[in-house]
Amino acid sequence: MTVSVVMPQDDHGPIPAKAGIGLRFRHHQPVTEAHPDVAWFEVHAENYMGGGTVPRYLDMIRRDYPISLHGVGLSLGSADGLDTAHLERLRHLVDRVEPGLISEHLSWSATAGTYLADLLPLPMTEEALTIVCRHVDQVQAHLKRRILIENPSTYLLFRHSTIPEWEFMAHIAHRTGCGILCDINNIYVSACNHGWDAQTYLAALPPAAIGEIHLAGHSIRELGEGRTLRIDDHGSRVAPQVWALYREALARFGPIPTLIEWDTNVPALEILMQEAAVAEAILEEHLHDVVCANAD
Amino acid sequence: MTSYAPTLIELQHAIRQSLQGGLDGDAPAFVINDGLDPGARLNIYRNTSVGVLVKALQLAFPAVQHVVGAEFFEGAARLFVADAPPRSAWLDAYGADFPQFLAQLAQAASLPYLPDLARLEWTVNLVLHAADTESLPIQHLATLHEAELEVLRFEPHPAAQLLRCEFPADAIWLAVLERDEAAMAAINLASGPVWLLVQRAGSDIHAVRLSEPEWRVAEALFSGRPLGAALAAASCAEPHTLLATHLARDCYASCGPANPTMACITRGTNP
Repeated sequence: MTVSVVMPQDDHGPIPAKAGIGLRFRHHQPVTEAHPDVAWFEVHAENYMGGGTVPRYLDMIRRDYPISLHGVGLSLGSADGLDTAHLERLRHLVDRVEPGLISEHLSWSATAGTYLADLLPLPMTEEALTIVCRHVDQVQAHLKRRILIENPSTYLLFRHSTIPEWEFMAHIAHRTGCGILCDINNIYVSACNHGWDAQTYLAALPPAAIGEIHLAGHSIRELGEGRTLRIDDHGSRVAPQVWALYREALARFGPIPTLIEWDTNVPALEILMQEAAVAEAILEEHLHDVVCANAD
Repeated sequence: MTSYAPTLIELQHAIRQSLQGGLDGDAPAFVINDGLDPGARLNIYRNTSVGVLVKALQLAFPAVQHVVGAEFFEGAARLFVADAPPRSAWLDAYGADFPQFLAQLAQAASLPYLPDLARLEWTVNLVLHAADTESLPIQHLATLHEAELEVLRFEPHPAAQLLRCEFPADAIWLAVLERDEAAMAAINLASGPVWLLVQRAGSDIHAVRLSEPEWRVAEALFSGRPLGAALAAASCAEPHTLLATHLARDCYASCGPANPTMACITRGTNP
């Protein structure tokens, strides 16, 4: 096993260790007109790959705010290889936006030339690990940038999985030199759904690799007989248990750029700014703790 | 229960069949059965996958959806998604074949104008997301001699598309999107074909009606024929007036002589 070359980072308007907001279309006008006090924005790369009005909004917004690009379509876990045309579309967008961070998911979405439009779960096997690492290497080489990989939320486990997901994440970072986008809500959702220990998950992630944190809301589906399944639908405020886990994550990783995501029934920017303010207060508490600890 | 461990490609093919076909096939056997049946777990992913693709079609075909109703549209979209899933993750480019699918859908046969409306909406979608390029500055053409003009070929602007419809799809499209009942009632479906230029102007998309001769010249130029041949094919009474009108529409990105080894005469620049 080898550690890949260190990829260049933080040379494109770095994302600060503050609370940012997932920018959706309904926020384009309010943001360009009112210039709200938001530390940074993240957008879904696939929404800005064409021309016309939509990317022009992003051209305007990137002049005033650091931007992070979050991809949902690369399908890093596809056994039959990456869609190189899609990778090239992403490269064009990276050239245009010059984002502070670029991230993708530990999942797959395409097989046999068909895009399945969801972040599908991978079996946690040596074969899948090798394939994902090969594709992360390919993407980082093509973009000439380090990327972050986000841990998934899942609703099923495969019988033939052999590697705990938290170890799988750490292996990817170690083998490819990529960073980790630690989605706290996803850890909580998957831990509840599969009976995992969320602290064990956090403890297994290499702190130096954590480049970003995601926070979002989830919903609870009743299965009967008192059993529930948590669904990562990004359609509500961050749950109290997820805020608690976020504090634990900051204690382990230090202050990390933190994003509020909301994708179902996207609310007005003010609601997202309230959620970001909660995250910001926790980040500042933690910064304060770090300063006090250093003073001691 | 099975002890068989599929390779990643086998697993992904099985899940694709499960998600697309709605039949579970081999996939559930690979999933741990713990409290919730594997088929129900796969169904969570199936619902998200279909929901995302139906939503993409709803965004691209809002007028079609209004005409047929949300329930009918979702049913048709679900059939289309199962029949013709996207090839790439860039979903702005998904739906090109939906108009043809609607044209063959027996349940939609009572709305003969529906495929034309869908083709117009798809054209609008293409124009909406087309690449940004400056338009050709046509004043340079005034300095050219007749012989030079004859052999000029034009490259259409990426955000300009031609469309011919049997029905007045442009009037239906506007009336539906503006919820203008009076305009809708005034539409005569038997008024004959319309020849359209769909193009982007700032943040707006316009469907401009052209005369048939102008559309024929445009079609010839869009397909790369030289100007002289394009005008001859249109056989109109006042070719120069028609050409002046047409070139003023800003629907070309560049032009150059027929001989590709010669330099491009003029071209808009990227913003």
